[in-house]
Amino acid sequence: MATITAPAARRALPGLLKSRPAAKLLTLAVAAVILVPLLDSRWGSGHWPHALTVSLTGPLGDASDWVMNNRDSHPLFLYFFGHISNAVVLCVRGVYLALLAMGWVGVTALGALVAWRVAGVRLAAGTAVAFLACGALGMWLPTMQTLALMVAAVLASVAVGVLLGLAAGLSDRLDRALRPVLDTMQVLPAFAYLLPVVLVFGIGVPAAVLATVVYAAPPMARLTALGLRGADPEVLEAVRSLGATPRQRLLTARIPLARKELLLGLNQTIMMALSMAVIASVIGAGGLGDRVYQALASVDVGAALAAGIPIVLLAIVLDRVTGAAGRAADNTGESRRTVWLLALAGTAVAAVAARLLGRAEWPAGATLNIAEPVNHAVNWMTAHLYSGVPVIGGTADWAAHFTTWMLDPLRDGLRALPWWSVLLIVAALAWLIGTWRTALTATLAMAAIGVLGVWDSSLDTLSQVLAAVAVTLVLGIATGIAAARSDRVDRMLRPVLDVFQTMPQFVYLIPVVALFGVGRAPAVVAAVVYALPAVVRITAQGLRQVDPAALESARSLGATGRQQLWQVQLPLARRSLLLAVNQGVVLVLAVVIIGGLVGAGALGYDVAFGLAQGDLATGLVAGAAIVCLGLMLDRVTQPTGRAKKGA
Amino acid sequence: MRFRTTLSVSVAAASALALLTGCGAADMTKQASPFANAGGARSMTLSVQSWVGAQSNVAVAKYLLEHKMGYRVDTVQVDEIPAWDALSQGRVDALLEDWSHPDQEKRYVHDKKTVSYAGGLGVTGHIGWFVPTYFAKQHPDITNWKNLNKYASQFRTAESGGKGQIMDGSPAYVTHDKALVKNLKLNYQVVFAGSEAAQITQIKQFAKEKKPFLTYWYTPQWLFKKVPMTEVKLPPYKEGCDTDAAKITCAYPKTPLRKFLNADFARSGGKGAAFLKKFQWTTEDQNEVSLMIAEQKLSPEEAAKKWVDAHPDQWKRWLP
Amino acid sequence: MTLTVPTRKPPTSAEGSDAPVFAVDGLWKVFGPKPGRVPADPALAALSPAELRAETGCTAAVRDVSFEVRKGEVFVVMGLSGSGKSTLVRCLTRLIEPTAGTIAIDGEDVRAMDRGRLRELRRHRAAMVFQHFGLLPHRTVLDNVAYGLEIQGMGRAERREKAAEVVAKVGLAGMEKRRPGQLSGGQRQRVGLARALAVDPEVLLFDEPFSALDPLIRRDMQDEVARLHSEEGRTMVFITHDLTEALKLGDRIALMRDGRVVQLGTPEEIVNSPADDYVREFVRDVPREQVVTCRTAMRPASLEEAGSGPAVRPEAPVAEAIEAVARAGEPARVMDHGTCMGVVDSDALLNVVAGTGTAAPAEREAEPTLVSAAPRPKAV
Repeated sequence: MATITAPAARRALPGLLKSRPAAKLLTLAVAAVILVPLLDSRWGSGHWPHALTVSLTGPLGDASDWVMNNRDSHPLFLYFFGHISNAVVLCVRGVYLALLAMGWVGVTALGALVAWRVAGVRLAAGTAVAFLACGALGMWLPTMQTLALMVAAVLASVAVGVLLGLAAGLSDRLDRALRPVLDTMQVLPAFAYLLPVVLVFGIGVPAAVLATVVYAAPPMARLTALGLRGADPEVLEAVRSLGATPRQRLLTARIPLARKELLLGLNQTIMMALSMAVIASVIGAGGLGDRVYQALASVDVGAALAAGIPIVLLAIVLDRVTGAAGRAADNTGESRRTVWLLALAGTAVAAVAARLLGRAEWPAGATLNIAEPVNHAVNWMTAHLYSGVPVIGGTADWAAHFTTWMLDPLRDGLRALPWWSVLLIVAALAWLIGTWRTALTATLAMAAIGVLGVWDSSLDTLSQVLAAVAVTLVLGIATGIAAARSDRVDRMLRPVLDVFQTMPQFVYLIPVVALFGVGRAPAVVAAVVYALPAVVRITAQGLRQVDPAALESARSLGATGRQQLWQVQLPLARRSLLLAVNQGVVLVLAVVIIGGLVGAGALGYDVAFGLAQGDLATGLVAGAAIVCLGLMLDRVTQPTGRAKKGA
Repeated sequence: MRFRTTLSVSVAAASALALLTGCGAADMTKQASPFANAGGARSMTLSVQSWVGAQSNVAVAKYLLEHKMGYRVDTVQVDEIPAWDALSQGRVDALLEDWSHPDQEKRYVHDKKTVSYAGGLGVTGHIGWFVPTYFAKQHPDITNWKNLNKYASQFRTAESGGKGQIMDGSPAYVTHDKALVKNLKLNYQVVFAGSEAAQITQIKQFAKEKKPFLTYWYTPQWLFKKVPMTEVKLPPYKEGCDTDAAKITCAYPKTPLRKFLNADFARSGGKGAAFLKKFQWTTEDQNEVSLMIAEQKLSPEEAAKKWVDAHPDQWKRWLP
Repeated sequence: MTLTVPTRKPPTSAEGSDAPVFAVDGLWKVFGPKPGRVPADPALAALSPAELRAETGCTAAVRDVSFEVRKGEVFVVMGLSGSGKSTLVRCLTRLIEPTAGTIAIDGEDVRAMDRGRLRELRRHRAAMVFQHFGLLPHRTVLDNVAYGLEIQGMGRAERREKAAEVVAKVGLAGMEKRRPGQLSGGQRQRVGLARALAVDPEVLLFDEPFSALDPLIRRDMQDEVARLHSEEGRTMVFITHDLTEALKLGDRIALMRDGRVVQLGTPEEIVNSPADDYVREFVRDVPREQVVTCRTAMRPASLEEAGSGPAVRPEAPVAEAIEAVARAGEPARVMDHGTCMGVVDSDALLNVVAGTGTAAPAEREAEPTLVSAAPRPKAV
């Protein structure tokens, strides 16, 4: 029977698919024909009409003044924000003092023992080496400061995330309300979070921790909700059939059943907190991020790297250990508690022994100076590659060509488009790939940018994003295909991708400037470098996951490798490729914004300006525009049904 | 019932927070950095600004406080204006190089009295427009702003499009360049490097190729030792000519750089505060340290040690 | 596949079949918008499933079902997927809230119970075994079995001791420390069974417990349930889509189709006198000689027949008589405690095997409890 109906269905399907986008476009076209002359006659067709903007400079300036003047007197601050701030300070300080009390021996021992219990001997050794490397690079204290900050931020993120996740996991209404918010928060560049927090808490650790919490809590909340909702319904029914109360059901079944998702959430929260801990150095987070930031001020790539390496090491260790904890969720024995106690006792003994020997602090002589050789290498690179390389031209020439032939036409083209046509394009793209709802969100987000009065700089940022995404996709998908087709390439790429993905974005801004000069080109390059690993990974994964049966049948029909790739693998991996585009866009936007620090101008510069000058009106408006831009870009590239963030 | 569970959990969390912090008012403007005093020693937090001169001040002060006075010093990188706010809150104790921020001064020093003036740094700062000296030697008339348009085409870059490029730096810096370009009718485009690091890198690259460039820059700055630059004279500064930022047509003033302390710290900071008040040196001193940091790539600590070892008379006067 | 029918205890009339464990009357479960109107309106209630859906958007999973489960019996509800049998069993403890009708357990109205009372019912009186086991993957076998007791608030040591006993009873001794993930399907279902047994419920509810298992293990488990039943005599309600399983385990079988009970009776009745064509189609391939008893197949004995020939028990399946008749070459006597109740000859036996005309049963061991709503069995 199936064989009879199948061809008919297949014939009908393309017709349907063809007609649906066509219908959507037609609807839009009709709407445009009616609306455009109206809009055009009323407000003209150039840039965003001035009549449609709302200036927030006045109110925002007033608000910021009010906060500054009332921060030490108004009850809202005294009784609410003050306590939050206080709790953060206490918590960070508590952890920091505890870490200092343990000394480097204790901390290293504890880290290694925990890793050993959770993930085995190899990771334990890796953890110990990572901690020792932090010390050897002369970064012990900053590392501890960052760790203390991370612990506080991660604890708070987990608490907030789990509470939100519980709410969304248990109540359908809250889930519907929270999900789009959480989804959106995850695609926003970290930079956009900084200003509002600074406005309330001022520069310093509390603001940094809270910005980190805002940034890192959403994945925890999403995964908690996902875990609670994904629990095997029959298990829950069985629990109910035994007469469990709702509380018993939650504590003994739903939460334990969601353990895997909870641990994955923890893992993602830690990774995001770590990346934010670096960016938050702009608002006084201290620690490793601050060292990177300070090193950049003196164009000291080597020193920046010396502070960046511990971050990468911490990230890799934390990622692997929490990842292993997630995988090992099932096999745990009875003797756990005693072994944990032993591990703790071991740490205590090591710490006390080190203390007695007077070695609580990292020995001053035992540091390695990597800054000098690195700087040499960087200088050599810039000296030899910057310009005048025969035939291919220097990097500066490339940057100039890229700016003149790609960025400028893109930017000017976007700006030359009538404002309503930009909205129309956004609506069409979002609708084609998603539903009318996504189209509406995207269009409204784009319109909001206009209303905020930052249409021009947003289009500038947008042009950079588009250029960077194009380059990223070409390079990333090509590399991804190579990695998917050859295990050797994959093995070689893995550590490189790991490092690039965890390296703070700040670290590669300066070598990029050295190679490509100041301007938009280096921002684009930095964005490409940052987004490439995720795109490569998702592409390779998608291609590898293509149904082996389909490939086998293609091979059995005598398809060549190229035919297999083009006719089987790529079409079947379509979803992954779309996800790669989406991730690429989100990550590129994050760095293009930071690119404001190396001359990319536009929205990123405005945020940096707002932070640096305390000009919250400029900064907040730019931040809001970034939020809208992120929202719009995400919706325009979002394949229906969102997959998890991060590859 | 599900909702009740959530509610009880959140109530528990809220009460835990309340317990943890103790009830009653909490003034977050009086909270020190969590990293302060961690070592048990007397401790303070100095704010560092992103430019190297400021790093030099802090490096030397920190070195002396730690090695000659037994303090433990934390540094936090904060731009000037946020630093004022942090200073007022006590998150940082001192700002050693302020380039004149009348609004902030009025709010915090005169109105709120949470920040107090701690004397001059001994260095005078000046902002201006600069071209590389090798270019000024070939074209001596460039040093007058009136001739800038004549050379605009030579300063063109990919970023500035058809106009000449005047490169600005960090968003933290005081700048009127956009208004100046407009009001003086210059055929130039302001390109913001976005950070001093980026700007210096770019200047060095230009210099290496002996390319012409026009940049916003300031003295004292160590880079002059590496890339000699000549100032382009803008219409002279007169008192009050910069009050309306949009209509500005004059040069930047010469600014005596000043130090500010948190008011509480200034009162009860003991010897540390007294030392910071006395801390005063010259442009040459600062540049010496800056060069060691920025060019020889010494760590700020090593650079400070070198300078301190070489100039004992200088710093002995600062000790209380 | 041969059926090894365990010697089935005759339904215990002595223990008072007049006091049913479950009494279900006029039970409805309708899914969809405003479900209450369907049972309330006779016009709607009479519609076919397709019509009902078209008219109201509702699906009636259980329609006007009535039956009683007697103490100590294995009551099987059988039907194909979508027939509403799983919904029905969930209605019994209100895991799914019924739309209309009454349910009583030991005379107490289940639908009137408040939350606490209902919890009490689930904790102590009726425990369920699930198709996909419903085990908690993060707990050991022992803790899974003890889970019901933990829910009741029993102390750790006590519940573990009790659980260990039950674990041994279902043949899992030595696996207490394992986790469900480390067990085979059959072992997991033993854990599910043990978990239900551990709370010592009055009734065990089985929801297609063995359909996820492969055939050999399924037979083992069926034997295990039969053994438990013969040892403990616990009342069981057993849901299955497998006729063989139903015939093997059930004292009585309710056959469901589209939410209705189309026939309710002993396995023999169902096989021997199907209520309608649907049931007849259903039981067509059943090896009838394994189900039909000699009591049903026999005819009154003539005098000489009563005197000689091999003897068979009245409750013995016809298959047994076939063997005896074939060996002896003469009709076999159906002997009950020394009296000859009748004979089965080769004609009668062939009729049984072929499923052609059945002699009017000489005697019924019990009148089938026919549901008012179910169509009366047609005479064949």
